[in-house]
Amino acid sequence: MNRAPGARTFLPASGASGGRRVVPVLVAAALLLVPLAGSRFAATTLTEMLIFAIFAMSLDLLVGYTGLVSLGHAAPFGVAAYAVALLSTHGSVALAATLPAAIVAGTAAAALIGVFALRAAGVYFLMLTLAFAQMAYAVAHEWAGVTGGTNGLSGIPRPVLPGADLGGTVPFYYLVLLLGGLAALVLARITGSPFGAALAGVRENEARMRAMGYDTFRLKMAAFAIAGAAAALSGALYAYYNGFVSPDVLYWTTSGQVLVMVLLGGARTLAGPAVGAAAVLLLQNLASSYTERWTLILGAAFILVVLAAPSGLAGAAARLGGARRRLRAVDPGAGPLPPAPSEGTAR
Amino acid sequence: MGEDRRVASRKAITRRTLLCGAAGAGLAGAAVAGIGSPAARGFGVPAVLAAAPVKVGLLVSYSKVYGQLGEDITAGMTLYLDGVGWTAGGRRITWIREDEEIDPQVGVRKARKLIEADGVDLLTGIVATPTAYAIRDMVHNSKTILVVSNAGGNLLTRARRSPYIFRVSFTSWQVSAPFGKWFYDNVARTAVLTAANYGFGTESLAAFKETFVPAGGRVTGEVLPPLNNTDYAPYIAQIQKLGPEATYNFYSGSDAVRFLQAAQQYGLTKASRTTGAGFMVEQDVLPAEGAAALGIYSPLHWALTLQNPENLAFTRAYKARFKRDASVFAMQGYDAARVIVEGLNRAGGNTADKDRLVEAMTAVRFASPRGPFEFDPNTHNVIQSVYVRQVRQVGRDIANVAFVNLGRIADPGK
Amino acid sequence: MTFYLLQALNGCAYGMLLFLLAAGLSLIFGLMEIVNLAHGGFYLLGAYLGLSIVRWTGSFWLALAIAPLITGGAGFLLEWPFLRPLYRRTHLDQILLTFGFAFVLTDLTRWLWGAGVQSLPAPRGLDQSVVILGTLFPAYRLFVIGAGAALALGLWLGLVRSRLGAVVRAGVANREMTQALGIDVAAVFTGVFVFGTALAGLAGVAAAPILGVFPGVDFEILIVTLIVVVVGGLGTFSGAFWGGLLIGEAETFGKVLVPQAALVVIYIVMAAVLLARPAGLFGGRAR
Repeated sequence: MNRAPGARTFLPASGASGGRRVVPVLVAAALLLVPLAGSRFAATTLTEMLIFAIFAMSLDLLVGYTGLVSLGHAAPFGVAAYAVALLSTHGSVALAATLPAAIVAGTAAAALIGVFALRAAGVYFLMLTLAFAQMAYAVAHEWAGVTGGTNGLSGIPRPVLPGADLGGTVPFYYLVLLLGGLAALVLARITGSPFGAALAGVRENEARMRAMGYDTFRLKMAAFAIAGAAAALSGALYAYYNGFVSPDVLYWTTSGQVLVMVLLGGARTLAGPAVGAAAVLLLQNLASSYTERWTLILGAAFILVVLAAPSGLAGAAARLGGARRRLRAVDPGAGPLPPAPSEGTAR
Repeated sequence: MGEDRRVASRKAITRRTLLCGAAGAGLAGAAVAGIGSPAARGFGVPAVLAAAPVKVGLLVSYSKVYGQLGEDITAGMTLYLDGVGWTAGGRRITWIREDEEIDPQVGVRKARKLIEADGVDLLTGIVATPTAYAIRDMVHNSKTILVVSNAGGNLLTRARRSPYIFRVSFTSWQVSAPFGKWFYDNVARTAVLTAANYGFGTESLAAFKETFVPAGGRVTGEVLPPLNNTDYAPYIAQIQKLGPEATYNFYSGSDAVRFLQAAQQYGLTKASRTTGAGFMVEQDVLPAEGAAALGIYSPLHWALTLQNPENLAFTRAYKARFKRDASVFAMQGYDAARVIVEGLNRAGGNTADKDRLVEAMTAVRFASPRGPFEFDPNTHNVIQSVYVRQVRQVGRDIANVAFVNLGRIADPGK
Repeated sequence: MTFYLLQALNGCAYGMLLFLLAAGLSLIFGLMEIVNLAHGGFYLLGAYLGLSIVRWTGSFWLALAIAPLITGGAGFLLEWPFLRPLYRRTHLDQILLTFGFAFVLTDLTRWLWGAGVQSLPAPRGLDQSVVILGTLFPAYRLFVIGAGAALALGLWLGLVRSRLGAVVRAGVANREMTQALGIDVAAVFTGVFVFGTALAGLAGVAAAPILGVFPGVDFEILIVTLIVVVVGGLGTFSGAFWGGLLIGEAETFGKVLVPQAALVVIYIVMAAVLLARPAGLFGGRAR
C-alpha cells in the first residue's frame, strides 16, 4: 500500500535572505495601513479574511502538520460563536471575560470530539468528526429556546474593552489583526517546536512513533485541542463580526469550506491556508457579482489548482519566488519525506 | 534520525511560512484594495446629482434548493422594470445582483458588500427568513431601505421591525391564521398538523391554531419532520396512525414535492382531506407534484388564475416574456419593483433623504395582481387579501383556483 | 405491529436506494483508495439525464438503461484526463479535485436543467399502490426492493465468480502484486471508476420517483452515501449492502421513535458503529 506521500516534498525555499525579510515586512505594513488608506469595505472584508485565515490555519495544524483530515472543524468554531452570542446577549459584553469563556467552550467541544474520533483513522476519522459536528448542529437547530433555532441569535453587540471603543470597523479590524497575528505566531512556534516535529512524526508514521515511545494518542489529542482553541478564537470573532449566529456555522458545509481553504492554499504551511481563505472569499464574493456561474468557476479553480499548483496557491507563489531567484537546488532544506508504510496521511 | 528531521523540518517550515505569507498577504491586500476603490467613489457622490443612476442591490438565492425562487423574483422585477423603461423619479435604475445561497452567513457578507462597497441606494430581495434577521441590524443602522420580496418570518414585522424595512410578500401569520377558522367551518373539526421543523414551519402551525382552536377545533396530533427531509414514508405512516379527518401542512420546495408524492402513494390524500399553506402547491413545485396535488385547499395571497385585470395582464406578459407560468414569487418581485419605482417617483428621485424616501414608500398603494396593495403604516408590512385556493384541473393544466377571499389581512405586529 | 412491519418495508426500500449509491462509491474506494466526492454529482447527472430521456422517449426503462451509460462516460472524462495523473499524489489533492468536480457538476446540471424542483413519475404499471397488511403501499417501492436485491446478488456473483471480478478483488487486496502479475491495473482502475459512476447514475434514475430531482440533492445524497460506506466498511461490497440496509432502517425507525433526534439519527448510528468497530462493520483494518 505505498501511497508514496514522499511525492510531496518540502518546497524550495532557497534564495537570498534579504528578499525573504522584506516581503513579510511589506505585508505586515500593508495589513496595518490598508484600513486607514482604503475604504470601510476594504477593512470589513479584510477582517473577515483574517478571521477565516485563523480558522484555516488552525485546521492546518490537524490536516497538514498532524495528518488528521477533520470534517468537523465547524464544531469548535460554532460552539465558540454561540458562546459569544449567548453571553453577549445576556449581559456580558466585556471582551476580557467573554472571549476566554468562548475559547474554553470551543476547546472543550474539540477535546470531547477528539476523545472519540481519534480512536479511528483516515476516512473513518473524518466521518466521525463530521458526525459529532453534525450533532452540535442538531442541538443548535432543535434547542430553539436557547439558540433561536434556524433563525439564530441576532443583535450581538461588539465587545467592550476598557479604554478602547471596538464598535467601529477599523478598531475591530485591528483587534482581529492583533489576535490573528498572535494566533499565527503561536501556531508557528508550535509547528516549529519539537512538539511540532513529533506531530509530523505521527503524520508520517504513527506506528514508528509509538515504537519510539511516544504516546501518539496524547500527541494527537493535544493537536486537536490546540487547533480547537484557535478555531474557537476565530468563531468568537466571527460572532462579533457578524453580530449574529445561526446553526449554519455548525453545519458540515462550514467544515467543508475551511477544509477547501486549507487545501486550496496549500496544507502544511501556515501561510497557505491564510491565502486559501482569502482566495475562496474573494472568488465567492467577486465571481458571484459578475456571473451566475460562480459555482462552476469555484469548482474549476479547485481543479486548476490541483493540476497546476500541486502544493496549493502558497506553494505556487513560493515556486514563482524561487524561480525568480534562480532555482539552485530542488530542495536544500529537507529531502523528500521518508515513504510512509500502510498508515500515512489521510485517506 | 528523529532529531535530524526535527531540525530540518523546522527550518523548512519557517522559511516557507515567511515566503508564502509574503506573497499571499500581498495578493490579498492588493485585491481588497481593488474592491475597496469603487466604494470610496460611491461615498463621495453628492446626492443631488440626479443624473446618476439609482443603484438597487438585489439579494436572492440563485443556487441550491431555492434557486428557482430567486430566478422568479428576478424575472418579476425585470418584467416591471422593463415596463417603466428602468427609470424612476427622473433617474435611471441599475441593479447589482448577488446570491444569498440560503446561508445567512453568506447573506450578511453579500449585503455588506452591496451596502458598503457597491454603495447601493436600496436593497431588495431576501428569500430566507434567517437571512432577513441576520442583516436586519446592518440595514437598520446604515439606514438602507430594504424591500423584502419573500422572507416571511413574523418577527421582522414585530420585535425585529425597522422603519427602513418594507415587506411586499407576507408574514407566516398572514397566510395561515385566517385559514384556521375557515378550515373549522368548511373542512373538518379536528386536524393533524404537520410542518417542516424550522422557524417558518412552526410559526405557520401556531398561526393556524390561533383561529382554529378558539373556533372549537381540536388538534389531534403534530408531526414535525426535519427541514430537507429525504424520505417521507416514515412520517406518512405516522400521520396515518393518527387517523386524521384532515391535515394542515407546511412544506415548500423539495420538501413539498416529496411529502405530497408520498402522501398520495400511501393513500393519505385519499383517506383524509389535505390542506396546507399555499407554498406547498405553488407554481414552483406544482408541475413536479402533478396529480398528487389535485384537490388540495391552500391559503395564499395570490393565485395564478386570480381573475382581475392586473393579474391577467401580469400573468400573460410574464408567460410571453419568460415562457413559463408566473408564480407568487414572481408576483412579489413584480410588486417589489413597483414599490421601489413608485416610491422613487413620489420622492422625486431623491435617495439621499432616507426619511423622506421612507415616507414616500409608506404611502405607495396600487392595484396589484394580488388585489389592492398598501403598506401598514406601523409595520411597513403589506396589507393584502388572502384567498382560499384549490388545485384543480384547468383545461390541460393543473392550477390553483382561488374561490374564497378571506378578507384584507394585516399582521398584528404594532 | 402492522405499523412497524410497514416501516420496516419502508426502511428496506430506502436502504436499497442507499446500497445502489454506496456500491459505486465503495468499489472505487476499495480499488483506488479515492473518496470520490463528485459521486453525488454523478447521481444528480444520472437523474437529470433520466428525466430528459423519459421526456423524449416516454420510456422509464430506456432511461434506466441509457442514463447510467452516459453518466459512466462522464466518469471516464473525470478519471482519464484528471484523476489518472494524480494517483501518485496525496489524498488531499484527490479530495480537492473531486470536490471541484462536485461543484462543476452541480452548476452544470443547474445550467442545463434549471433550478426548479422536478420529479420523474414511476413507470406505468408501477405507479400504483398495492394493498399490503391492510394499507396501501407504492408498487414502485416494492420494485426497488426487488431490483436492488437482484442487483446486489448479480454484482456479488460478478465479483466472486468472474475473471474480471477476480482481477478487481486482487487489485483491492494488493495492487502491486496484481500489477506484477502482468495485469494492466490502470485500465482496471478506469473501468472500475466508470462502472462506479454508472452505478451512481443508475441510482439517480431509480431514486428520482421517490426523492425528486433538484439542485442540492447531490450534496445531500453524498453525505448519506459516505455514511453508508463508512458504516459498512470502506471498499467492502457486503459493507455497502448491509450498511445501506442498516442506515435505511435506522433512519426510518429513528424518525418514528425519537423524532427529536431526526436530524442526527444516522450520525449517531455511524458514531456508535465506528466507536465499536473503528473500520466499519465489514472493514478488516482501519485505513
